[in-house]
Amino acid sequence: MRPIVIGVLLISTGLAGCAAPGAYDWGGYDQMLYQSYKDPSKSEAMRVGIETHIAALESRGGLVAPGLYAELGTLYLERGETDRAIDLYAKERDAWPESKYLMDAMIVSLERRRTSLPEAAQ
Amino acid sequence: MKRLLMLIAVFSLVGCATPKEPMDFTAFEAAAPRSILVVPTVNNSLDVDAPNYLLATLPMPLAEKGYYVFPVNTVKVVLEMEGFYEGEQVHQQPAAVLAQQFGADTVLFVTIDRWDAQYALISTTVTVSFQYRMVARDGTEIWSATETMAYTPANSSSGNPLVDLIAAAISAAVTRAAPNYLPLTRQANQQVFILGHSAIPDGPYKEMGVNR
Repeated sequence: MRPIVIGVLLISTGLAGCAAPGAYDWGGYDQMLYQSYKDPSKSEAMRVGIETHIAALESRGGLVAPGLYAELGTLYLERGETDRAIDLYAKERDAWPESKYLMDAMIVSLERRRTSLPEAAQ
Repeated sequence: MKRLLMLIAVFSLVGCATPKEPMDFTAFEAAAPRSILVVPTVNNSLDVDAPNYLLATLPMPLAEKGYYVFPVNTVKVVLEMEGFYEGEQVHQQPAAVLAQQFGADTVLFVTIDRWDAQYALISTTVTVSFQYRMVARDGTEIWSATETMAYTPANSSSGNPLVDLIAAAISAAVTRAAPNYLPLTRQANQQVFILGHSAIPDGPYKEMGVNR
């Protein structure tokens, strides 16, 4: 009996060690990024994955880790969905003041591009 | 004589236990960065995929340490739009210029020196080795570290030498077919940023997190 108890304790301690909660719930961000670098066709899976993760976090009032809104914005930008990208860059800026300079610069540049090339936006 | 031997013994023990020289964080603390711009890495290994894989592992430990980490893939895409496709080109830019372009307090440069698997007859050793350097937006280097991690899968003994040899060969074949560098890379990052003597001071968001 006792060895089993100890074994279970060891296993649960080991598991707790693996799952040690950090400050943020990343939703597998690093794995998705790795997979999409390994196989660029996985970037669509990454877009869906981050989108789903952010929605789940927001619905329970959780904190979205630094960079995630912007990374999702860039995945939309690469699909040509500029409006969605701008919205997400604005969210990153509002969540993290350190990103304001870059996010504002990107939003301004995307808006300028959109107004100078109205036909390309369609 | 006996006393001398004891003294020697004590000294040699002390010698073994001497920790590395504590790092000087004066410049880091003076810069008091809130944000870190992680730029694409330089690759001195032969594996062309290594820089991107490494890049994917860098944001999490730094953000967990309390810093705002610029979105690495977004930064990479922006740099590519500016014509910087390789880490080498980016690392040649003055850190102060990069920091200003992105509005970052510091820039983290990482260089890959080793990312390889060495094959012996029945075992394979996977090794990664990185140089890390952080520079403040005024151009001052505020932190640096190097880390090497190696991994050789251990084969448990079954008591039967032939069985052991077959097991070892299978294990080596698996490692050879798909050496998994990510756990080692994460370990190296943990060591330099969080656990080792080079561990960086906590950033402004350290106490924040899921409970906010």
